[in-house]
Amino acid sequence: MTASVANDMSIFSLVAGASLPVQLVLLVLILTSLFSWWYIFIKLATIKRAETSAEEFENAFWAGGDLNKLFDSLSAGRRKTQGMASIFEAGFKEYVRHKQQSRMEVSDVMEGARRAMRAAYNRELDNLDAHLPFLASVGSVSPYIGLFGTVWGIMNAFRGLSNVAQATLSQVAPGIAEALVATAIGLFAAIPAVIAYNRFASSVDRLSVRYESFMEEFTNILQRKS
Amino acid sequence: MMIRAYEKDVSWQAAVWALAVHLLLLAALLLSFNWKATPPLLNVAEVELWDVLPQSEPPVPAPLAEEPPPPAVKEATPLPPEKVEAEPVKTPEVDIALEKKRQALEQKKVAEQIKKDLALAQKKQLAALQAEARKEEMQNSDKLLKQSKANETLKKLQQEALTEEKAMADQSAASAKSAASAGVLDEYRARIQAKIRGNVNKTLCATANPELKFDIALLPTGEMAGLPRLLKSSGNKACDEAVERAIMASQPLPVPMDGLAFAQFRNLKLTFRPND
Repeated sequence: MTASVANDMSIFSLVAGASLPVQLVLLVLILTSLFSWWYIFIKLATIKRAETSAEEFENAFWAGGDLNKLFDSLSAGRRKTQGMASIFEAGFKEYVRHKQQSRMEVSDVMEGARRAMRAAYNRELDNLDAHLPFLASVGSVSPYIGLFGTVWGIMNAFRGLSNVAQATLSQVAPGIAEALVATAIGLFAAIPAVIAYNRFASSVDRLSVRYESFMEEFTNILQRKS
Repeated sequence: MMIRAYEKDVSWQAAVWALAVHLLLLAALLLSFNWKATPPLLNVAEVELWDVLPQSEPPVPAPLAEEPPPPAVKEATPLPPEKVEAEPVKTPEVDIALEKKRQALEQKKVAEQIKKDLALAQKKQLAALQAEARKEEMQNSDKLLKQSKANETLKKLQQEALTEEKAMADQSAASAKSAASAGVLDEYRARIQAKIRGNVNKTLCATANPELKFDIALLPTGEMAGLPRLLKSSGNKACDEAVERAIMASQPLPVPMDGLAFAQFRNLKLTFRPND
């Protein structure tokens, strides 16, 4: 059996010839890799979208138009506002509402608008941070899962040696090769996940700083208005 | 859920991309690695060094030399009668014919003598007749020669039959050899025991020299088909296991290369005394 495997090694025969735990490890790793790549592409798209929309909103906001008009155009849109626009919407809505009840103190109105913006900001940050913990877990754990599969496969390969009188490399080589496939797939899942996690984390940080500075600046503008 | 609401519009695109990445990986694995391993051509000759050859040859000639004669004698005795029979059967006929002819000749002669008496002038004819008679006699002798030739062919046939018989006897002797050469089997058995003994940890067996019996299924290469089966224990489990380990470690066991002789070893019942 070993000789035939050694002579005809394809990636499929290697996987088919592996023991059940190794096959399970491979299955888990392939699913993990698929999901992590899926999330990577989702996050690439959504973060890019958040950055461009923040850019557009800042341009519109600092163009110096009427805030009421800006608010109306945002809430007139069919889609729920996202990113910086939603923070602005929440803060301005709260400010206008407090303003209409004219007996309130200015500081209370500002506090209310700030809280509303803080809540919208947290919601936005939560959306931006979505799936990043998963990518971090894949990046740190999947090499170990692959290593587990490899160690298991090599253990099996060497156990097969105990039954033969003359141990040759060709008797363990196929087993080790199929075991190493597990490590390879583990690394294939982990490396992009780690790179993506680091990139997305820094992107989210920059966006959150941008949102916070917008909140501060908008608070100032509202205070000047009131 | 797995994805947020605001991510739904990009999720399909992302899934397609993720699948594409994995197909790319699979293609890279298939294309960049040459998974076909060509086994290196090795000319390995296995050599077994023995200081004493098993005494298989000397005992063999003895039965061979002894056994073939009996069948030869056996076959030779019934055959000669055939020869004897064959001759009498044929010779009488010939004799009768000869005598008939002789009688005829004599009659002729008598008649001729009468004729001589009657007519001396017919001498020439008589001479011619005599010549004829001689010719006939010559022919008769030819016939006799032919008969002897026939006898010879018969003998040849008999000899061929004999040689065949001899070959048969040889074969039976060869088969008998494997059975008869118990000495060879004992030799190999002793060789196997010696090899195992070298691997036994004797300290595990008591000093009382217990006897163990193992049933070992052997392959022609001397390796075991399966594990040795313990038939008779020494009473000491550690000792049994020590001997079993020794048997496993002694592979390949020395077995005769001869297929006929090996048949005796296919299922070897090995009696073993670790302290001999």
